[in-house]
Amino acid sequence: MAAYLAHYLVMVGIYTILALSLNLLIGYSGIFSLAHAAIYGIGAYASALVALKLGLGFWGGLVVAGAVGAFASALVAIPSLRVAGDYYIVASFGLQTVILTVFINWTSLTNGHAGLPGIPRPTVLGYVIDNPFKYVVLAAALAGFTYAVCHRLTHSAFGRTLRAIREDEIAAQATGKNVVLVKIVITSISSALGALAGSLYAHYITYINPTSFTLEESIFIASLVILGGTERLAGPMVGAFILLAVPEALKFLAIPDAVAAPMRQIIYGGLLILFMFVRPEGILGRARPGAKQ
Amino acid sequence: MDLLLQLLATGLVVGSLYALCALGWGLIYGTTLHFHVAHGAVFSLAAYFAYVGQKLLHLPLAVAVVAAILAAAAAGLLIDLLLYQQLERRGAFRTSLFIASLGLLILTENLLAIVFTPDPMRMDIGVLDTSLIIGPVFVTYLHVLTVVLAIGGYLALVVFLKRSRWGQAIRAVSSSPEMARTVGIDLKRVHLLTYAIGSALAAPAGILVAMDVGAEPFRGTRFVLLASVAVIMGGIGSIPGAMLGGLFLGLLENVGIWQLPSEWQSAISFGVFLLFIVLRPRGFFGRKVQSAEL
Amino acid sequence: MSDSAASAQPILSLQGVSKAFGGIHAVQDCTFDVTPRLITGLIGPNGAGKTTVFNLITGFLRADAGSVRFKGKEILGLAPHRVEAKGVVRTFQHLRLWGKMSVLENVLVGCRSPLGENVLTLFLRPGRVRAEEAAAHERGMQVLEFFGLADRAREVAEDLAYPEQKLLSMARMLATDADVLLLDEPTSGLDTDSLGRIVPVVRRLVERGKTVLLIEHNMELISQLSDEVVFLHQGRVLARGRPAEITRDPALTEIYFGV
Repeated sequence: MAAYLAHYLVMVGIYTILALSLNLLIGYSGIFSLAHAAIYGIGAYASALVALKLGLGFWGGLVVAGAVGAFASALVAIPSLRVAGDYYIVASFGLQTVILTVFINWTSLTNGHAGLPGIPRPTVLGYVIDNPFKYVVLAAALAGFTYAVCHRLTHSAFGRTLRAIREDEIAAQATGKNVVLVKIVITSISSALGALAGSLYAHYITYINPTSFTLEESIFIASLVILGGTERLAGPMVGAFILLAVPEALKFLAIPDAVAAPMRQIIYGGLLILFMFVRPEGILGRARPGAKQ
Repeated sequence: MDLLLQLLATGLVVGSLYALCALGWGLIYGTTLHFHVAHGAVFSLAAYFAYVGQKLLHLPLAVAVVAAILAAAAAGLLIDLLLYQQLERRGAFRTSLFIASLGLLILTENLLAIVFTPDPMRMDIGVLDTSLIIGPVFVTYLHVLTVVLAIGGYLALVVFLKRSRWGQAIRAVSSSPEMARTVGIDLKRVHLLTYAIGSALAAPAGILVAMDVGAEPFRGTRFVLLASVAVIMGGIGSIPGAMLGGLFLGLLENVGIWQLPSEWQSAISFGVFLLFIVLRPRGFFGRKVQSAEL
Repeated sequence: MSDSAASAQPILSLQGVSKAFGGIHAVQDCTFDVTPRLITGLIGPNGAGKTTVFNLITGFLRADAGSVRFKGKEILGLAPHRVEAKGVVRTFQHLRLWGKMSVLENVLVGCRSPLGENVLTLFLRPGRVRAEEAAAHERGMQVLEFFGLADRAREVAEDLAYPEQKLLSMARMLATDADVLLLDEPTSGLDTDSLGRIVPVVRRLVERGKTVLLIEHNMELISQLSDEVVFLHQGRVLARGRPAEITRDPALTEIYFGV
């Protein structure tokens, strides 16, 4: 039972990192990305591959994951953020599709559907992280790190610029902000952090395959952000706690697997609609965002 | 060479389907500026309406199809009336509308998956299944009908927008909602009409695919996102652009696999899309895109 | 051209600027100078192209032809944020405030915070970023005091009354420390009391060394406020000179009030 709870907490930790990093885009910058699962996957595969093929440790893998994630999204962000916002939704969908195709089809690198097994466990100062409780600590540490980075970014002049861009980017331009550059920077940072989550996931489950990094997954991560609340940083974490409990609750109700998966999605979809009506700012958001310092 | 011709033919058929979806989605987006991903839900629903009409209600195929198109048009209209207009009344941001639309898409498709299972639900299409062999190319009457309907739909839309009063109202709102309001056009009504027409264009696409390979719950998501790609490539706000974009995308996807492995199909399309954004963001026929819209 | 400030080189100089939309020539061969440390009024009937001129100067629209020189250097074609960096900033007719942010934050966005906005220095030089932020806060409060908004600093911008929002949009502009301030209809929608608040503020901006180019419909105000006036009609500059000369010209008055 304790091990099960520990597993749940590790996943909450991973999804907190994903949600916090996506919140930088959706919540703070007003950029809606459908590619976060692909970035998650890039982090997982990059980290797994450098571990399996180059013998690089977990920490090295983290750095590589972050760099590759940032680079991949910058490739798409640079052309599409120059133009009006809605292009990015479509471009991110494109990125998601292309990257998943690469995971599935570049079999010489990724093993395709068979996936990559045997990913080594992380070591911290000589200790191997080999039981769920140790992973909880690692996940909490990485989530804490992500939170700290997001906090620094959002509570700064840079964060102010992001919020100004989200609310009225023309006024931001007139006030001297290089809107395109700021968007590219935040997209890269968001992706670097999202890729970190992938790295952690890969070295936790020690096996990855493409099915974890689909469009449905991107939408799920976006739901965490939206439902948890985009205004406060704790929001995505709350979202992770709650939404990850949904599949568990469904298992509890002994709903057959074939129905459980779409049932989950129906609940998520319904919640999204409901929240847009009742509480668009999410669970933790303020109903009227007050003056923030 | 034979293979290439076959691929071109398939590309034309697939392109016609994309074109119908793109015409509908582009009309809606150009007029309301809603990123209506739930268009995919209407696409999927239309297929199942036709299936239910024929297989469960035992209606003749033509009746089932027409009824399904009307039902889909109504569904699209209701989505605007009950979802988007209600949210707008509450002062929602455009992103909130998009999120609600996404939620509706997911909810609808998964509901269909539970009710009908994810397996393809096939229909009886009778004579339309007959194959037609033109030189080295092999198509069915259904495929020919698809292309004909796409062209017909396009022409009908163009004539409607140019000649009819409501069509002109839609164009006015599309080009400037403020001006349209000043001359007394009822924006809400125009939006409803746009949704009805846009949905009525997507519906045949969903139904035709279902008639060919069976109705599936999740196809709509793919189609609506490809429709948005087609509209962007064709140029936002341009009807001929949407048509051309859809056809182009269909041809690209299929001709692309002439030389490249077929698994890379979607990667090719998006790669070209990204190239478009870099080199010609306004697409084939769009207005010149500026980074600031004043 | 008036000889009121003959010694000064024009700080902003438009030459032959043109812009057409479809078949409509919004701005045609627009040529005029703006003298530094003066208030120049840009007037003309509705649709004369005044806001379009602002958009062209500040880079929000691409001109078809012409040149705009700021302190002698060409700025036509630069992106809006580059134009601002050079020292030309504008307000908007529809204000475009960041309503969900506080009054102070609106101004702070205008303050230069290069360290706090650069992600590298943000993480690697926390001490200097903190100092910069404190300095920005101080400067922001000073700007708010200039506009009489200091006591509303922590309130949400959209909660302000309309006249105060207009002042806030100017405060944001002043915070950027730009030399040339383009005001788009600073007094529209204001009652006489509020007008009384705005007019002296504009004068004080100039006393501080700023140059103001303003679009204004109120003829009374133009006479009171401007040192020089540029009359625009159908995209062309019809006349330039002292307000008295322009407002008394019967031909111009006829055009202005519409025939």
